[in-house]
Amino acid sequence: MTTDFLVAGVAGTPRRGPLTRATALLGSGFVRLILAVIALLWLVPIFGLFASSLRGEADNATTGWWKVFTVPAEITAKNYQDLLANSTVMQSLLNTVYISVPATALVIGIGALAAYALAWMRFPGQDWLMVIIVGLLVVPIQVALIPIAKLYGDLGIFGSLLGVVLFHVAFGLPFAVFLLRNFFAGIPADLLEAARMDGAREWRIFRKVVLPIGLPAIASLAIFQFLWVWNDLLVALVFADPSSQPITVALQSQLRAFGTNVDLLATGSFVSMIIPLAVFFAFQRFFVQGVLAGSTK
Amino acid sequence: MNRKGWGIAVALGVLALGVAGCGGSSSTQDLTGQTIQVAGVWSGDEQRDFQQVLAVFEQQTGAKVQYTSAGDQLPTVLQTKVAGKNPPNVAFLAQPGSIAQFAKEGALKPLPADVQQTVSQHQAAAWSKFATVGGKPYGVYFDASDKSVVWYSTKAFDTLGAQPPKTWADFVTLSGQLADAGVTPMSIGAGDGWVLTDWFEQVYLQTAGVDNYNKLAAHQIPWTDPTVTKALQTLQQYFGQDRYLAGGKSGSLQTDFPTSVVNTFAAAPKAAMVYEGDFVATSIQSSTKSVVGTDAKIFPFPQIGAAAPGAETGGDAAVAFTDDKATMALMKFLATPAAGQVFAKTGGFLSPDKDIPLSVYPNDITHTMELQLLKAGDNIVFDMSDQAPPAFGATKGSGEWKDLEDFLANPSDIAGAQQKLEADAVKDYTTS
Amino acid sequence: MTQLVAKDGGLPVGEGEATPRARHRRGKDGRSGNAKWLVVLYLGPAVLLLAVFIGYPVVYSIVRSLFDRSGSSFVGFHNYVSVFTDPNTRIALRNNLIWVLVAPAFVTGLGLIFAVLTERIRWAVAFRLVLFMPMAISLFASGIIFRLVYQEDPGLGLANAVTVSVHDIFAAPSQYPGVLPRPADGTTSTSDGFTTVRTFGPGDVLNLPMVGMTPNKLPAQAVPATPVHATQGQLSGVVWLDIALGSKINTLGHGKKGMPGITVQAIRNGTVTATAITADDGTFAFPDLAPGSYQIRMPASNFAQPFRGLTWLGSTLVTPVIISAWVWITTGFAMTFIAAGLAAIPRDALEAARVDGATEWQVFRRVTVPLLGPVLLVVLVTLIINVLKVFDLVFVIPPGSTQADANVLALQMWQVAFGPGSGGDLGEGSAIGVLLFLVVMPAMLFNIRRFRRER
Repeated sequence: MTTDFLVAGVAGTPRRGPLTRATALLGSGFVRLILAVIALLWLVPIFGLFASSLRGEADNATTGWWKVFTVPAEITAKNYQDLLANSTVMQSLLNTVYISVPATALVIGIGALAAYALAWMRFPGQDWLMVIIVGLLVVPIQVALIPIAKLYGDLGIFGSLLGVVLFHVAFGLPFAVFLLRNFFAGIPADLLEAARMDGAREWRIFRKVVLPIGLPAIASLAIFQFLWVWNDLLVALVFADPSSQPITVALQSQLRAFGTNVDLLATGSFVSMIIPLAVFFAFQRFFVQGVLAGSTK
Repeated sequence: MNRKGWGIAVALGVLALGVAGCGGSSSTQDLTGQTIQVAGVWSGDEQRDFQQVLAVFEQQTGAKVQYTSAGDQLPTVLQTKVAGKNPPNVAFLAQPGSIAQFAKEGALKPLPADVQQTVSQHQAAAWSKFATVGGKPYGVYFDASDKSVVWYSTKAFDTLGAQPPKTWADFVTLSGQLADAGVTPMSIGAGDGWVLTDWFEQVYLQTAGVDNYNKLAAHQIPWTDPTVTKALQTLQQYFGQDRYLAGGKSGSLQTDFPTSVVNTFAAAPKAAMVYEGDFVATSIQSSTKSVVGTDAKIFPFPQIGAAAPGAETGGDAAVAFTDDKATMALMKFLATPAAGQVFAKTGGFLSPDKDIPLSVYPNDITHTMELQLLKAGDNIVFDMSDQAPPAFGATKGSGEWKDLEDFLANPSDIAGAQQKLEADAVKDYTTS
Repeated sequence: MTQLVAKDGGLPVGEGEATPRARHRRGKDGRSGNAKWLVVLYLGPAVLLLAVFIGYPVVYSIVRSLFDRSGSSFVGFHNYVSVFTDPNTRIALRNNLIWVLVAPAFVTGLGLIFAVLTERIRWAVAFRLVLFMPMAISLFASGIIFRLVYQEDPGLGLANAVTVSVHDIFAAPSQYPGVLPRPADGTTSTSDGFTTVRTFGPGDVLNLPMVGMTPNKLPAQAVPATPVHATQGQLSGVVWLDIALGSKINTLGHGKKGMPGITVQAIRNGTVTATAITADDGTFAFPDLAPGSYQIRMPASNFAQPFRGLTWLGSTLVTPVIISAWVWITTGFAMTFIAAGLAAIPRDALEAARVDGATEWQVFRRVTVPLLGPVLLVVLVTLIINVLKVFDLVFVIPPGSTQADANVLALQMWQVAFGPGSGGDLGEGSAIGVLLFLVVMPAMLFNIRRFRRER
C-alpha cells in the first residue's frame, strides 16, 4: 500500500537540504511514532463508545465507560443481542441500502457529467453557472423541507423511496460538481488535446481519459456521499414512511424519552457503521490508482 | 411538562383515505381494510406498551394502526408535514400551546359530538378545557402526569431516621439536617430548564393560588407581579443554599434531568431527593437498580401556604388532523377506559380517566399518584410552561427556561430575574 | 519546473480545429464552443435537480422572509429588523466568526499534514480508517459522545476524570470537604476559614462541633471524642463530628468521633501565632501561648471541596469544545480528499523537480502544494461552508444553561423556523437563512475571483 512516490524510487538522488537531514536523523520512525500517537488519541472517543455499548444503561448512567477495565463484570453483549433481534431495525438496514446506493450512484453520474461540462466544455455563462452551483452549497436542508414537501404532496411521491433519494441526490450535487470540476480541470490539457486529435468525441474522452484520472476524487466522493446519506436522519424522518425508513429513523424510535440512551446509541452506531466501513475499504484502494505514469499516448 | 423528544409528534398520512361507509351506529364500527398511521410520543419500552393499546382497537374494528415515533426532530417534521399538506391522522401533543398553535392554523379538526360525550363521561371537565381552543374542543387527553410529588431515597432518609416532611418549613429543616449529616438533600437537573419551571410552578401554585396561576399562564398578570416575587423568595430559601444541591448551583446547571434521577437513586448516590413528576419512575427503572416502592418513594410536594392546593398536572392529548370516520373512531376509543386500562397495567402511566379501576395500577406509588389526581377533580392546573407559547415555555436555552437557570445561578437577584422573565414573556406572548 | 503544471481552464483558445467529429464549432465571437445540445445533455440533469430542489426553495425562502409568520401578510423588512435587533443574533454571528476563522483552516492544515505523512508509512490504510471512523458515526451520536466526554462530573466525563486525576497528583484533596461548624455557634466564616467570634486565652477550653459529613466517611484513625478538661496555661479544645442518630446536638457522647488532622490556628491581632493539628480523638492544644486573647481559626484548606475539573461546557469553553468535536469528525474528510489529490499528482512533475536538484521541502512547497491547489481550495471552501451550517453538534452538546452562549446562525434559524422556538415563524426563519447566505458571500466571492484569475 505504499505510495512512496514522494520519497523513494525516483530517478536521481535528491539533494539533502536541512529539513531532509533533520528528518533522516530522527528517522521515519519518528514520523511513525507521532502518527501512532495521533491515531490512538483519535480512537479514544470511539473506543469509549464501543465500551459504552458493552454496558447496560444503568452502568452508563452512573459511571464513566473506563470502568470496564476495572469492573469487567459490567461487560455484556445484551445490547447487541437486543438490537440484532429487533426486526424493525434490521429491516431498516436494508432500506438504508436501498436509499444510499442509488443516491450515491446518481450523484456521481450526474455530478461527473456536469463537472466535465463545466471544466472542459465551452459555453456562455459557464463561470456564473459554476459560481451559482457552488453557492448552493450554502443552502441548509431545512430551507427546502417545506417547499419540497408541498411539491411531493402534489406529485404524490411523499413517503416514497424515490422522494428520499431524489432529495439526497439534489443536495449532494453542489459538492460533487465543485469537487469533480476542480479535479477534472487539473487534468493536463495536452492529454485531452491528444485524444481529440485522435478523433475522439466528448463522450469517449470523458470515459477513457477523464474518468480514469479522476478516479481518486470520484472514489472519495463516493465514500462520503454514501456516508452522508447513510447517516441522514432529518430527510428520512420527513419524507419516508415506516415501510421505507432507514436505520437512523428506526434507531431514533428506539430511544427512551429520558436517559442518555448511550447504550442504544452506541450499539446502534456500531451496527450501523459496518456497511459504510466496508464501502470505505472497497473504495479507498482507488486512491492510489490513476497515478499518471508520464504519458498516455 | 416537557419531555425530551416529546412534544409534537408526527404521524404519517393515511394510505387509504377511504370512507368508512358501513358500520353506522354500532359502538364499534367495522373499519376493516383501513389503515391509520399514528405517531406518538412513546418510544422504546413504552412504545411496546402503547402498541398493545392500539392492538385492542385493531381487534375491535379491524382497522390497521401503524405507529411510529420520532425524537428531537418532531417539531420540524410535524411543521413540514402540515405545511406539505400531508399531516398525520392523529398526533400526541404535550403542550396546550402547541394545540392552540395548530388549531389557529386550521390544521386540526374539532371533536365530533360523540367523542366529546365520551370524554366528558369519563374525565373531569378540566381536561377537555385544556384542549379547547376558541371554544372548540380539539384534544382527547390520554395520559396524565402528576407533578406534585417529590421522590426520595429511603436509604438516605433512614440514615437520619427522617420522615417525609409535610410543610415547606419542615422540608427546609430536613434538608439542613441531611446536609449536616453529610447527605446532600436534593439533586436538581437544572441543565434541563423545564425542571426549574416545574419547581417554580409548584411553588407559585401554592403561594399564589389557582386563579393567579391561570392568570400568569395566560400572561394576564406580569412576571413582575408581587405574587411572583413571593414565589421566587420562597425558592430562594432553597436555591440559595449551595450545600443543599448536588454539585452546588453551578453543578446543577450542568446536570440534566436523567442524571439528577441517577444521582439520587444509583448505588453510590449523591443526593437524597429529586423533585419531578411520576415519570421519574421510568428513569429509575431504566437507569438505576433501585426499586420503585421500596428504595424509591414519594411524598406530596410540601405545603407552603395554609390552604390545600390543587394538583399540577401535564399530559399528552391526542389531536386529529383529519376527520374521517376511522380517525375519529380511534379518538373516541382513546377516551374510553378500555384504552387507558391496557397501558395502566404496565405501570408508569397515569390516566385522566376516572373510570379505570384503581386495582389496575400495579403498585402503591402509581396508586397514590392516580388517587391524588382523581381526588383533585376539577381543581387541577396544567403545567404552566406547557401552556405558554413554546418560545417562552418550551425552548432549550431561552425564554423561561434560561431565565430560571440564570436565577438559580444567582438566586439573590430576584428583581433581575423577574425583569428578564417579563421581557421574554412580552416578546413571546405577543408574537404568537 | 516542467510544463506539466496543468492549466486550470478550458482548451487553448483559438486552436480548435474544425473537425466535425469533435463536435466543435466556432462561435460568433471566434471562440470555440460546444454544440448546445451536448452541453445540455451533460449539464441538464444536474441543473434540473438543483433548480428544483435547491433553487426553488431558496427563492421561496427569500420571498417568504418578507411575510409574517403565518405567510399571509406582507411585512417587508420587518423580519430582518427583528433578527438584527435580537441579541441572540449578535452572539450567533460572533460564534460563527470564531468558527469560520479557526476551524476550517485548522482542519485543512491537519488534513494536509496527515495526508502527506501517511504516504511514508506502511499502515496508511489503517491510519486513514481511524480518522475516517468518526464520520461513519452519525452527527447526533458524535454529539452525544462529546457531551459525555466533556461532562463536568469527573465520574462520568472523561475530560474531567483525566484533569482531576492529574491535578490530584500534585495537590491532594482535603479530608473534610464541605464540613462546617454548626451555625450560630460563635464562629464566622470568611474566605480564610472559620474563625471564632469570641476570644480565648490559655486555660480555656474550646468546643467545636462540626457538621456536613457522614460519620462512616471519617478517616479510619478517628476515635470517639471525649470532653477536654481545662489545663492551666494551655489553650485546648476538641473538634468533633456532631452527627449521631438520636443524640442531642452540641454535646459529646453517643459515639461521636473526633476529627483528626485538622489544622487549627491561634490568631492574635490578625496574625497567626501558633498552629496545632488535631489528634485522632479530635483534641488539640496550644501549650506555649503567651497570655492574652486569641481567636481560633480553622483554615478553609481543611474543608476545601475537591477539585472537580473544569466546566468544559460552561459559557467560556463551550464553543472551543464543540469546535474540537467538529475537528475530530472532519479531519478524516479533509485528509481523504487531499490524499486523493496527492495520488493524482503526476509522478513526472516530482521526478523532474528532483532531477533539477530540489530538496524534499522544495519539492513539497513548489510542486506538490501548487498542484494540490485546486483540491485544497475545494476542501477549505467546503469546510467553511460546512462550518457555517453546523447545527447538530451545537444542538446536542451544550446543556440548556449554556446553549445560548454556543448559538450559531444555523441553530437559531432552526429554532425560529421549526423549533418549539417561535413555534414556526417561517418568515423570520427565512430571514435568518438569507442572512446566513450573506455571511457566506465572502467565501463565494473569493472563489469567483480565483476563477477569474485563472482565465
